[in-house]
Amino acid sequence: MVTIKASYTKMLKTLGKNLSIEELDRLLSFAKSEIDEYVEEEDMLVIDVKTSNRPDLWIPEGMIREIKGIWGEEKGIPKLELKESDYKVIVDPKLSKSRPFIACAIAKNVTLTDYNIKQLMQLSEKIDHSYGRRRKRSSIGMYNLSMIKSPIQYKVIDKNHKFIPLGYTEPQDLETILETHEKGKEFGYIVKSYGHYPILLSADGLTLSMPPIINSNDVGRVTEETTDMLIEVTGTHLCTVHVVLNILCQTLADLGAELYNVTIEYPKEILDKTIVTPTIEYEEIEINLKEINKYLGTKLKPKKVEEVLNKRRFDVKKIDKDMITVLIPPYRTDILHWVDIAEEIAIGLDYNKMGPTKWKVLTTGGLLPETESENIVRDILVGTGAIEVITNTLTDPDILTIKVNIEEDNFVKISNPVSKNYSVIRNSIFPNLINILSKNTHETYPQVIFEVGEIVKLDKGRTWTQTNAAYMLADTETSFEDAHKVLDQMMRLLETNYNLIETEHPSFIRGRSAEIEIEGKICGIIGEVNPEVLEKNQIWMPTVGFEIELPLIPSLECKKKYTY
Amino acid sequence: MNNDKESIFLPPEAILIYKIISEKKELEINELENISKLSRGKIEYNLPFLQKHDLLDRKERINKYCSLTKEGEEAEKNQLIERRIYNLIKEKKKVSFAQLGDFIKVDKKELNAGVGLLRKLDAIIIEKGEISIKLPEKDINIELQQHLSKIKKEKVSYSDKVSPLVKRGLVNIIEEKQSFLIIKVPYSKIKSRIKELIEVGRLSSNMLRDGSWRKTQLKAYNLKGQPPTYFVGRKQPYARFIDTVKQKLVALGFQEMRGPIVELEFWNFDALFQAQDHPAREWSDVYRVSNPKHGNLPKEEYVTNVQQAHENGYNTGSKGWRYKWDPKKSSRLVLRAQGTSVSARTLVDLKIPSKYFSISRCYRPDTVDATHLSEFNQVEGIVVDPSITFRDLLGILETFALDVAGAEECTFKPDYYPFTEPSVELSVVDPNLGRIEFGGAGIFRPEVTKPFGIDAPVIAWGLGIDRLFMVKYGITDIRELFSHKMEWLRSTKMV
Repeated sequence: MVTIKASYTKMLKTLGKNLSIEELDRLLSFAKSEIDEYVEEEDMLVIDVKTSNRPDLWIPEGMIREIKGIWGEEKGIPKLELKESDYKVIVDPKLSKSRPFIACAIAKNVTLTDYNIKQLMQLSEKIDHSYGRRRKRSSIGMYNLSMIKSPIQYKVIDKNHKFIPLGYTEPQDLETILETHEKGKEFGYIVKSYGHYPILLSADGLTLSMPPIINSNDVGRVTEETTDMLIEVTGTHLCTVHVVLNILCQTLADLGAELYNVTIEYPKEILDKTIVTPTIEYEEIEINLKEINKYLGTKLKPKKVEEVLNKRRFDVKKIDKDMITVLIPPYRTDILHWVDIAEEIAIGLDYNKMGPTKWKVLTTGGLLPETESENIVRDILVGTGAIEVITNTLTDPDILTIKVNIEEDNFVKISNPVSKNYSVIRNSIFPNLINILSKNTHETYPQVIFEVGEIVKLDKGRTWTQTNAAYMLADTETSFEDAHKVLDQMMRLLETNYNLIETEHPSFIRGRSAEIEIEGKICGIIGEVNPEVLEKNQIWMPTVGFEIELPLIPSLECKKKYTY
Repeated sequence: MNNDKESIFLPPEAILIYKIISEKKELEINELENISKLSRGKIEYNLPFLQKHDLLDRKERINKYCSLTKEGEEAEKNQLIERRIYNLIKEKKKVSFAQLGDFIKVDKKELNAGVGLLRKLDAIIIEKGEISIKLPEKDINIELQQHLSKIKKEKVSYSDKVSPLVKRGLVNIIEEKQSFLIIKVPYSKIKSRIKELIEVGRLSSNMLRDGSWRKTQLKAYNLKGQPPTYFVGRKQPYARFIDTVKQKLVALGFQEMRGPIVELEFWNFDALFQAQDHPAREWSDVYRVSNPKHGNLPKEEYVTNVQQAHENGYNTGSKGWRYKWDPKKSSRLVLRAQGTSVSARTLVDLKIPSKYFSISRCYRPDTVDATHLSEFNQVEGIVVDPSITFRDLLGILETFALDVAGAEECTFKPDYYPFTEPSVELSVVDPNLGRIEFGGAGIFRPEVTKPFGIDAPVIAWGLGIDRLFMVKYGITDIRELFSHKMEWLRSTKMV
């Protein structure tokens, strides 16, 4: 999901209609977008674009293109007029292993209001971040054309080369920019991974930018006075670079710009050919109407399909019985398969007008045996008067260790936690129950709680998920047998023989705690909680309890779920 | 009385009542109150003991009582009018008709009526406007006068004797419902069988075993007092809600499925055709496991097919993502970030047709606050059949909206998931809560299904039950779902 900000009144002006927020929101759904918020005093809409595959929609112009199609006001692929220019970019062969591709266009007579500049910057940022994979795959630059002389050099340069980065007043060398400039610090790792410094220079040696880090403060500054612009996209992936430029060109055309092409001269180490960009080529995809109708559950005729696709800004090149050749707008990057066209047709028909159908194939439903087993245990424990709780499986390591006197940390740890409170996956439940008791010392006693829930175990580099059941009772007078009687009755009801083997467990009192053994396997722990643990958790009531691993109870059908 | 020899246990006060009624044969309850000196409440409490043993009958009747009207009160105080006139004439020997009003200050009409009455009784003579006594020795209407006094002083039943007073508007008849008791078996007859009941506070097992409960009477409690606080054992409210959702899905013919919490990126992303450099796979969007970092990929065949789907579209006709797929990245371990990974696992050896669901804990690196949890539940599932279509998918979503969310209406919007095409968002209109985004769905892309040898369309769907639960229970802070608060756990309403 991508969130953008736009002016409500300016959108309405471009649409040429007075629409309420609700009406606009409904129309935006055809552009897979929705209004998240409307800040009336700032005339600002916060719009969520749900698709990460449609960078063309990350600016109001893109959404309006879709809406005008749905209205039938404009049909098919928008026409983009391109004029020839003498501008040329020469690409350095040394870039072949780092950031080899570039695509450029020139936009003249653009009315750049402050709002339009902000919108273009927002679009560039969003594309760089998401579709450009944080500038690694592609990044966009815009320049004041009047200061640039052809041919432009896209080359590798010495680290001592200096220019004034955007927002600064003094020239800095490239290394310093990477170390000290805000953008250098954020994206410098990309350039560092190349082992050399890419640069864009005007024929007269003036620096345009250091892609993908930062523009220069003069050539690379676009203001309300700028009328003619050079737009450039560099990157590691030729198609991406081209399509991003197409998106920018279509947007600028919608803003009223005249567009000119630029010739890119590649060395043989990269492409061994010259490409004129933007490459406005309509990709074709052939669809079989029978397949589409079967997929959607429709009975569409070719003419209807053409009409609907035109609404979605596609052109139909050829109809040959059931085979339809569709032309894809050059700013679309998301059409991989005919199912993508099927979706366009469905959206064009309007999901709400297609009519839901009842699929009548009979299937038998059912819970998994492990769920049934867990429910049996839950029913038994509820029957004892215990209150069920659900606690976090992603928890604080202290809860599983220090707070219950345990030293081992044999549990799954997260390498990128947001906070320590949620940084490991529990390997048992009772510490969470003690944590709950510690937070309720002001409530009436007795407090009897239980949880039947998932834990993750770790053994010899293998992990698995399984369900445990834990029970805890805190009261003014309580002792081992209060837990034992519950366990004992539970085992009777589950027709399971078990033994208690005296044990030393740091969370429980010695001589008043035992391991639970079933068929020779240790499958749980029972006992009176160690006063040291109670004290640490500020629980001032004797507490007893047990925890048992359900997969080890033979009469139940709980299974370990291995990750692999 | 089924057995003539059995003892009859009665509370002491019931015995007292029994004796009184036996003596009187028949008695009204208010009379019984006077005689026994017991309160009405105690009498009512004790009578059922006697009735139970068929010792007496209780019946209702309507009693007519007399009461003085305002005029009656005056006649009682100043004597009846005829008596006043008579006495006056007796004293003065002779009074002219015209003078009468000067001596007795009453309404003229009443005076006339009094004179008329005396004439009727033939007690006076009227000659030329002069009234004189005819029967000097007579005490005129003395009985009526006495009745008035009696009515004034005590409760007098209505009888014909007072009907003249009623007719003259001096006395009113008041009707009163009265219970009365009639003895059936006199006390003397079964005296030997009557035993006294003992009052106790608590019924004991021994009392039941030795039958002594018959001799005892349990003291009545004050039933309006507050009981002690009591907490029943119960399921966690949210867990219970999840149980209900499972039940509904099972009823709709869905089979449950499950998967592990620690998941391979392969199942969480690659099998779902999410490119390896997709932003959703970055460390900021998914929790990675640090020990161990990697797991083993599944069967070679599936891995190769998925790799091709990413690189060139495999045999699906898709262009694929056109990059070099890295098996090492795919074997990285993460915490399940989307429930769809469980569906992805189910694609192996998938039965056709079939319907599956899972409710699984999922994890995202969000800062925990009122609207975000580090872990949450996702309801996900798939429906597969060669005949199934996108319109069927809309039909299934409609069923979820009506049957699971209990909504009256639903709408669809285009949506985006990397693994489905077309994709749709479902929102429902709840009669009380308005519009809620309730779910998302789509048909799995062929790049997702074909690597596992599936040719039939597979519908994938997900429902947002966390939010549904929150709006239905008026919860505004999502952290409550895993609440630590004993108060909430104990006392949240169940309906």
